[in-house]
Amino acid sequence: MTMLARQAWMETKLFLRGLDNLFWTLAFPVFFIVLFGLLYGDTLWYEDLGVRAIDHILPGITVMALMVTGMMQTAIGFSEEREKGIYRRLALTPLRPSAILGGQILHRYFLVLLQTCILFALGIAAFGVRIAGSGLWIWLIVTLGALGFLSLGFLLAGLVRSAQAANGITMVVFFLLLFLGGVFFPREMMPGFLGGLSRVLPSTMLNDALREVMILGRGIGAVWQELLGVAGWFLVSLLGAVKLFRWE
Amino acid sequence: MTAALEVENLTKRYGSLTAVDDVSFSVETRETFGILGPNGAGKTTTLEMIEGLRTPNAGSIRLLGMDVLRQPQEIKERIGVQLQSTTLHAKLRVAEALRLFGSYYRQAIPADQLLQELALEEKRDAPVAQLSGGQRQRLALALALVNDPQVVFLDEPTTGLDPQARRNLWEIIAGLAERGKTVLLTTHYMEEAEELCTRVAIMDHGRVIALDTPDGLIADAGLEASVEIGGAGEVLHRALQEAGLPARLVAAGDKLVLHTSESSKVLGEVTRIAGQLGMTLDDLAVRKATLEDVFLALTGRQLRE
Repeated sequence: MTMLARQAWMETKLFLRGLDNLFWTLAFPVFFIVLFGLLYGDTLWYEDLGVRAIDHILPGITVMALMVTGMMQTAIGFSEEREKGIYRRLALTPLRPSAILGGQILHRYFLVLLQTCILFALGIAAFGVRIAGSGLWIWLIVTLGALGFLSLGFLLAGLVRSAQAANGITMVVFFLLLFLGGVFFPREMMPGFLGGLSRVLPSTMLNDALREVMILGRGIGAVWQELLGVAGWFLVSLLGAVKLFRWE
Repeated sequence: MTAALEVENLTKRYGSLTAVDDVSFSVETRETFGILGPNGAGKTTTLEMIEGLRTPNAGSIRLLGMDVLRQPQEIKERIGVQLQSTTLHAKLRVAEALRLFGSYYRQAIPADQLLQELALEEKRDAPVAQLSGGQRQRLALALALVNDPQVVFLDEPTTGLDPQARRNLWEIIAGLAERGKTVLLTTHYMEEAEELCTRVAIMDHGRVIALDTPDGLIADAGLEASVEIGGAGEVLHRALQEAGLPARLVAAGDKLVLHTSESSKVLGEVTRIAGQLGMTLDDLAVRKATLEDVFLALTGRQLRE
């Protein structure tokens, strides 16, 4: 087994031992799918298109799960381990820093894919969601989103000194991206100023792209603007994360 | 013998503070070398520069014939480090941690062997968060030994441990030297330095102020023994000061300490003067000088204040 795969596996093993991790990555998004499914069930949200509440919510919750695993847990987890001095001890071994980071990224990416599959399976099996678009495009969008939120997570970890500060700032950013990003409610409901802000958020662009593909069955050509926007967020966050990165 | 480590003119500054100030010393292969000093003397900073964790502002470090700054990867394969406090992922288990760290090296000692040597077998499946202080230190030491290193660095290995746990760890550390390892340790316990070290460098304010074998340091400071008088009082203190004894008189709390290389003569004089003053000496002791006394003589301060 290569070093990278071994690190990723160890990260996954340790992750699974934390009940709080399982709550945030699994129970939390599943809870929302079930809640919306039971509350609104087959209510039509966009009558002209025949789109039900659950059809609209599933891509939104998928993006929320991406934010939790990609951004929130990365920022908080990395800051905590940094503060405890875990990376300091590793720096004394021949293990390359790239293997430490690579292992974490790989672990989180697989987790994101697993989450997406579980949420989709639940939506299809329990609430009769029909996925119109191509699996390949969905995978591509989820992957781009994972890259973007992982970078944002490392950027947030770089911005703050302490684990406590990481917790605070990450929660603020998370809820901002969640509520202004149109995860739960149609963006059309937002007033002018917020609507404008909402349009440039990565969560909004990912939601829009994912919905167009999943619900309306559009191809990648129809959402290239949104994907370009997410790619922009990814690159800017990545540059910032690299610049502000600290092991101690 | 060849030098395992050669440190020359090592300097580390943090802003206007010089934490390590032009430090030079060398450590022979198979030696157990101690750096003794109070908190903030620059011991840890010195050690961490040698380990490659910190970059010096000036000076050179040759470890096992290699330049620490140029060949860090190769050096990491051959050294083992116990930090002052080692933190691992709380959910990692003991044997698992040993196997994981072992996998980072070209060669590794089997986890079972380390668990046995460090008396951690009972805790093999325990999460590291559930270990006691002594067990945690033993695990940290086991991790430092996992690659069968040639040089072992121990930064205050027994700080915060109870006497029994300290004794245990001393036995293990003494065993390292017997197996041919070079050991470099820092401590602010003089008993620890005396018990374990072949040579000791005394550091204060970022500088090495003395370097020798423990006995050599004591002899050099002219301090073979100390005569201690408890509950002495002001009158006796003044009388002894005026008596012109061949000793260095230090008042420590309500105790008078006379550092001397002529203990019988000083003892006789003390008894005579006390007798003249009509005083009894209920709390009188003569003991061999320790590194603690050397530090006091060199700096005028106690090692732990």
